[in-house]
Amino acid sequence: MRTFRILFFKELKSYFLTPFGWLIMAFAAMMQGLSLSTTLKEYSESAMSENLVFATFQSPIFWFYFLFLFPVLTMRLFSEENRSGTLEGLLTAPVKTWQVVLSKYFAAYLTFILLWIPALIHFRLFTMLNDIPPPFNNGELYGALTIVILMGSLFTAMGCLASCMTSSQIIAGIVCVGILFVHFLLGLIPYFFGDQIAAAPLFHFISSQEHLRSFSRGLVDTRPFVYYLTASGFFIFLTYHLLDYRRWKP
Amino acid sequence: MIEIANLSKNYGRHTAVDGISFEVSKGEIVGFLGPNGAGKTTTLRMLTGFLPPTSGAARIAGHDIFRESLEVRRHIGYMPENVPLYTDMRVKEYLRFRGSLRGLKGSRLRKRLGETLDICGLTHVRRKMIKTLSKGYRQRVGLADALIHEPDLLILDEPTNGLDPNQIRAIRSLIQNLGENHTILLSTHILSEVEMTCNKVVIIDEGKVKAADTPKNLVNSMRRAGRISVELQGPREEIETKLSAVDDVTKVTSQSLQDGWNRYTVFVAPSTDTRLRISALAHETQWPLRSLVRRSGTLEEVFVELTRRD
Repeated sequence: MRTFRILFFKELKSYFLTPFGWLIMAFAAMMQGLSLSTTLKEYSESAMSENLVFATFQSPIFWFYFLFLFPVLTMRLFSEENRSGTLEGLLTAPVKTWQVVLSKYFAAYLTFILLWIPALIHFRLFTMLNDIPPPFNNGELYGALTIVILMGSLFTAMGCLASCMTSSQIIAGIVCVGILFVHFLLGLIPYFFGDQIAAAPLFHFISSQEHLRSFSRGLVDTRPFVYYLTASGFFIFLTYHLLDYRRWKP
Repeated sequence: MIEIANLSKNYGRHTAVDGISFEVSKGEIVGFLGPNGAGKTTTLRMLTGFLPPTSGAARIAGHDIFRESLEVRRHIGYMPENVPLYTDMRVKEYLRFRGSLRGLKGSRLRKRLGETLDICGLTHVRRKMIKTLSKGYRQRVGLADALIHEPDLLILDEPTNGLDPNQIRAIRSLIQNLGENHTILLSTHILSEVEMTCNKVVIIDEGKVKAADTPKNLVNSMRRAGRISVELQGPREEIETKLSAVDDVTKVTSQSLQDGWNRYTVFVAPSTDTRLRISALAHETQWPLRSLVRRSGTLEEVFVELTRRD
């Protein structure tokens, strides 16, 4: 546990003791603010039937920046160590492979979670700065943040796997975007093919867009919890074995 | 400290290490030599648990390198080739991280940090970012990293690679000092270094052990070491015949020098000294003798003899 803690804080420092983490945070804060303010503009122009949180998370730029956060956060994790050779020093120290994988995963995941503090502040400011009743309630706000954080657990794990595959950060980033995009498109299949196809319930089950829609209306469902947590576990498991492959390949 | 038995490593169809066996006992400084691509780095990586062996086994401090990898890693300090470091950390921060990974904490960690910085001559750069350091200093940081937890065994892969002569000298004296209470296995292809620092040499080539002995024994047992050069004045033919008749002499060649003297190269059996008999012979026959030298071989010649491919 102590080794895990040392590795975890080392990774976390590499995000926040360099401009790297702060740049991502500035980018995320800017995009969150942009989607909120464009949504507010829509509210001022026409009557809206949905709450503000829902409309903000449905704005077109949401998926655009959301899916780009993960490659940026994770592409460096393993590929950089692989390229510079520091992986050799790390894995010949008395550390277990799972400690290395989990420390990197959780450091990236915690950084991702911290990126949503600006969004929380934006919505809180809305209620603090004017006296009109807010066009959303707490359930909707926290529901939306919950699903965002849940999706983050899986997408970060996908990024870790991509980073472990190669010693080039760029390729790791591209592979990560590829995996995320495929996952995103799988969720859209019922749109294109209709609900008549036999596998439609499966695609509904993994559709991040639908999860986001229901959670940001305040409908917290337990099925996505199971899906995201087990799928993250699976991707971490793959990352672990990919890193350990070196140890047992013939 | 290290027992290697029939260790092999294949990369696909290429055999990098082919059934090597040798032992290193506690307190020895062992030079691990071989031409480029001989399998030195692969062997060291297997010993440190970074790569698994294809077959064979090795034990370090009594622990199997594959089954008890973590125990093995606790006993070794390893400095990989080219010294990879986290370049955006500061020297002391990096060493503190590496030390605590090896289980040092509290006052002991602080004490070891101070000592290691001091031994490796890093105290004045301890607050610098590693990326701003020169190659020599990075090498020292790598060495400090390998030392910080006071391991029983130091494994250094080309510790003086790419350094200037002064830095090489500094690292070499550092290694000599460390050798007083550590077992050291270092790979290199700088032979003068091995002659000066190591008390045992293992030479490998094409994945096989070609020789494992003390540098002195290796040099003495070498064919070319038994060569004596004599300069005499007198009848060339007769001298050659008489020299050939001396005990232990295997072959004599001669060469005429411009000033009326002849130089004879006398090949003798290894580990013998024929000089006394030659001087006695010269005295007996009244040939003027002006030089009688036994060429002492060098480790470099041993190395070339064992590893050349012609």
